[in-house]
Amino acid sequence: MENLSEKLIKEFNGKLDAIKGQNNLNIVALKNKKLIKKLSWEIKNYFDILYTLTVVDYSPVFELNYVFSNYENDDILIVKVNLDEKDLSIDSITDIFDSANWEEREAYDLFGIKFNGHPDLRRILLPEDWPGHPLRKSFEINDEVRHWTGLDLKF
Amino acid sequence: MEESNEFSYPGMSEVIFMKAQKFIDTVLNWGRSNSLWPLTFGTSCCAIEMMTFGATKVDSDRLGVLFVGDSPRQSDLILVSGTITKKMARRLLNVYEQMPDPKYVIAVGACNISGGLYHDSYNTIDGIDRIMPVDAFVPGCPPRPEEFLDAVRVLQKLIKENKSKAQKNGKS
Repeated sequence: MENLSEKLIKEFNGKLDAIKGQNNLNIVALKNKKLIKKLSWEIKNYFDILYTLTVVDYSPVFELNYVFSNYENDDILIVKVNLDEKDLSIDSITDIFDSANWEEREAYDLFGIKFNGHPDLRRILLPEDWPGHPLRKSFEINDEVRHWTGLDLKF
Repeated sequence: MEESNEFSYPGMSEVIFMKAQKFIDTVLNWGRSNSLWPLTFGTSCCAIEMMTFGATKVDSDRLGVLFVGDSPRQSDLILVSGTITKKMARRLLNVYEQMPDPKYVIAVGACNISGGLYHDSYNTIDGIDRIMPVDAFVPGCPPRPEEFLDAVRVLQKLIKENKSKAQKNGKS
């Protein structure tokens, strides 16, 4: 594991920063968002699964946390990517890690992040004609959202 | 002569017809109120109490509420127990519209009365009386199974007195 992260940092020279390293937990920050697909290919041999993909809204910047894991040794690699508010799009890694499919749909649903090259980028939790992305800090619960049912009601 | 001002008494045949209709209504309502077959629509913790309501200790069968239908087309009553999200609302109405017409609704739990714990949320319906006509509410979070019995008694009384929402809307 340590060899791998050192190797990665060497390979991405300057584009990847190690934030923290413990026994089997490594956190790295990826500076250029275009390299996420290349990084995924590099670690595909060692890490089997994308556990989860979380998004944090630090007002002008959205931080994506990719959590990769390995079945054999329980090694965990967390990759942090920062997205600017004006351009919320990043390459999809669904063709490399299959479990990214629904995680990316969830991030699209709740934060409105566009994943380029995703095979089926629809909302996963909310109704499809729902207005807005509710987990953003800028989202307000107003009367339109409160009384929205999406139904034509006659009774 | 102005006919419109004249009050005409009902004839003997009309009186007999009205009495017969009332009698038939009474018999029908008696029958309907005592064999309410429920459709179970459980989405969360209230559904566990609903199962207890149908099981031996509380025993809904003695009020004629038999958990045998399990199809909207054979049910008179829908027991909506659990939080209804906005995505689920369409599915709930879809099921509700497939039930044959004298149909009654019992809303179970705080979520279905006012939104409960999730009141004012972006993703839940604040009380299902916003989307469908509800005859009886069962308060609690989740309610005890005995309160279901009370709700069924209330509903039976409403049906016998021709006061349920379905009868008021002229769909009986």
